[in-house]
Amino acid sequence: MDVSFLTIAELGRLYDKRELSPVEAVTALLRRIESHDASLNSFIRVTPEVALREAEAAERELAAGRRRGPLHGIPYALKDIVETAGIPTTGHSKLRQDHVPTADAHLVTRLREAGAVLMGKLATWEFALGGPSFDLPWPPARNPWNRDYLPGGSSSGAGAAVAAGFVPGAIGTDTGGSIRGPAAVCGIAGLKPTYGRVSRRGVFPNTFTMDHCGPLTRSAEDIALMLQVIAGFDPEDPGSEDCPVPDYAAALGEGVRGLRLGIVEDWYRDAPHPDVAPAVDAAVEVLRGLGAEIEPVRLSSLRDYTDCKTTISIVELYAIHERDLRSRPQDFGRILRNRVLPGALIRAEDYVQAQRWRTVLAREQAMALKRVDALVTAAALNVADRPDPDAPDRLVSAPSITMPFSVGGLPAIAIPCGFSRAEGLPLSLQIAAAPFAEATVLRVAHAYQQATDWHCRHPMLV
Amino acid sequence: MRDDLRDLPPASSDEVRLLLRRAGLDLPEELLQQFLAVWPGFEAMVRRIPRGNGYPDEPAHVYRPGRIVR
Repeated sequence: MDVSFLTIAELGRLYDKRELSPVEAVTALLRRIESHDASLNSFIRVTPEVALREAEAAERELAAGRRRGPLHGIPYALKDIVETAGIPTTGHSKLRQDHVPTADAHLVTRLREAGAVLMGKLATWEFALGGPSFDLPWPPARNPWNRDYLPGGSSSGAGAAVAAGFVPGAIGTDTGGSIRGPAAVCGIAGLKPTYGRVSRRGVFPNTFTMDHCGPLTRSAEDIALMLQVIAGFDPEDPGSEDCPVPDYAAALGEGVRGLRLGIVEDWYRDAPHPDVAPAVDAAVEVLRGLGAEIEPVRLSSLRDYTDCKTTISIVELYAIHERDLRSRPQDFGRILRNRVLPGALIRAEDYVQAQRWRTVLAREQAMALKRVDALVTAAALNVADRPDPDAPDRLVSAPSITMPFSVGGLPAIAIPCGFSRAEGLPLSLQIAAAPFAEATVLRVAHAYQQATDWHCRHPMLV
Repeated sequence: MRDDLRDLPPASSDEVRLLLRRAGLDLPEELLQQFLAVWPGFEAMVRRIPRGNGYPDEPAHVYRPGRIVR
């Protein structure tokens, strides 16, 4: 049996029927990683001993009829800014090359308690911001659809590993689009939950007010299964919200009939890639055909959202890295250093004004979401980039279509909705909803995936 | 028309060097030159931030004393 592209839900069903065991699945995936990751660089560190030990434990419990839940015996991997006790957590940076945490991140504890099986630590842009970089201790990951392209960032290894069939699910982080971007250009699903939905404790910070942890998988259904385990209140995370966690999988099958979807067309109509707008338009028609009510929504420009988000994040980022910048600036990769340093020159009043602007922008999203149940737009304005160490930094110059929902702290998912004609690379749809309405986001995404097969297409690794 | 700081002239490289020194940063010349090349884009971004909010418009993250005690 080829387990490479089985989903979490499919693996669980096979475990239940005793047609596949966790050790068999993990062994096969470890072999696949060993065969193919040398050219994809999605893992910084594979942890076969941990994986086999956890898989054997899961197998014993499942054989004894003790199933902990949908993630029991399911392989997964972590972006290497998520701390793991006794396993190096580097941030893909020379600055933390030898850092070995003494405790697991809160979400890792939850995944372990659910019986999930850790396969290893994944490549990222340096500290989830500086990249793609070519001057770090590890090379940047590559896109499994075509190795001449990158997998986006900053959860670059997560996007590549899930798309490549190395793991059915991974944990990434998203400050301005770092889950949704890689999901979009790798042709998989990636969810940024509501700010405060998933604990950030034990995850190296990118910012303080916009960091989110979330899953990347190959289907919306699998996103629901992973989110169910990692969502919930953590009193040790100051940003965590004490808000009930619904049964995400239960709402998946409700369909979109009667749901009001607001299409934010201004953001993607003039996308630099000519195939983006037609693909999103076609996806909207699929949703209309399933019974959704479609109406246009206008929000502030991507330029405004990008300026607001980036000003806030750069200042907070500088506060996080100030000591290292003063003592060892040469140990930062060039891109990260040049993205952090501006924080030293941005004035306190600029930061406060940007925070006030954030309120205004978040309020306009909240007002729109009083009229519609979800917002729909593109998840990326272009296909994957080619690697170019000398490319100018576009953090500030190119408006981002993922940052608006970072500013609002809203749940937002990226799911595949086609392929570009010239390059054959994935295109992606983005769906967002009101705070803590992850179930609505997943319901729309699942309905779309039940009517289409873009998420069932996988790259051939040779 | 939006109330922002777009009309201000860009900082000179000497001013940027001074501000970095005042922040306690002593960068090697090569790294400093790299930064001087990217700073104008960030400076322009910050100057596009609107300044015309009314007094009741508070920052997105305000002080909530109940959150301090865990």
